[in-house]
Amino acid sequence: MARKAEADALWSIVGYMLSGLIFWGGAGYLADKYIFHTEYLTLVGFLLGMGGALYLVWLRFGRE
Amino acid sequence: MINLQLSGDGFVPPSTNDFNLPPIFESIEWLTKPVLLVFLSVILVSLFFVVSARKAAVVPSKLQFAGETVYAFVRNDLARDVIGPEFMRFVPYLFTLFTFVLTNNIFGIVPFLQFPAMSHVAFPYVLAAFSFFVFHYVGIRKQGLLKYLKEIAFMPGVPKPVYILLTPIEIATFFLVRPLTLSLRLFANMFAGHLLLLVFILGGEYMLSDPNLLMKILSPFAFTFGIALTFFEFMVQCLQAYIFTLLTALYIAGALADEH
Repeated sequence: MARKAEADALWSIVGYMLSGLIFWGGAGYLADKYIFHTEYLTLVGFLLGMGGALYLVWLRFGRE
Repeated sequence: MINLQLSGDGFVPPSTNDFNLPPIFESIEWLTKPVLLVFLSVILVSLFFVVSARKAAVVPSKLQFAGETVYAFVRNDLARDVIGPEFMRFVPYLFTLFTFVLTNNIFGIVPFLQFPAMSHVAFPYVLAAFSFFVFHYVGIRKQGLLKYLKEIAFMPGVPKPVYILLTPIEIATFFLVRPLTLSLRLFANMFAGHLLLLVFILGGEYMLSDPNLLMKILSPFAFTFGIALTFFEFMVQCLQAYIFTLLTALYIAGALADEH
């Protein structure tokens, strides 16, 4: 059972990080390319997504 | 499948082309080796369990024992431990999933069959789609559509403005990343494993047929490595079937739970 809980946590964390990067990185990229024509929003999006994903991981697995 | 050129061109490393197998009969375009193997696996799995369960006795025969061991593994270790009290409803699905994926994976190292159908990404996509519908359907039935979506999208205990950041990530996780990683994990493992075996076996064959004596002498090393990797592949194939079923069970458990 303990191993299964670990597998759950492991793949959930991977999933959250992927989603964070894809969604906010993608949003940043689109904003860069089509809306503001800047070059730094993709990076901001990636960082935002990663931060949000880590926060979610903490919310779900870090607090008791 | 073996695209070895004996002279002139040098070694042709295996590539994705080795996965595009031609139709078995010219006139039937869809009937390729992977399709045939999937049909074969369905027949084999059904046959095995029908035969092993037909003469069910208190003192089991060897066949019945083998069948029951697999069934008990899925029911107890995967379904009951993960899903909890309501597990019996999901045992048929998880059991079918596990045996089907396992059989198809192991076809990758069975002599003469030697092709894992799951290395064609369409098959894992369909399986993941089934799992996707099952766990969302279960969650919606259990909690109602709105409550279920609310539970997915809004993690409790967060200040309201932060939801702008978190909700898209949660929704992307549940509706995009989960089915995608489920299928791509299986696909990539089977694809890479098959490619790895092709490299060593075809490479060994090439070395053996090379006129250079040194190459001939060294070829057994390639074959030995190929055989060692075959055993390694067996482990990966079992593990991937297990992980696929385990994650499906975990997703169902998550959808059933009132709080995640």
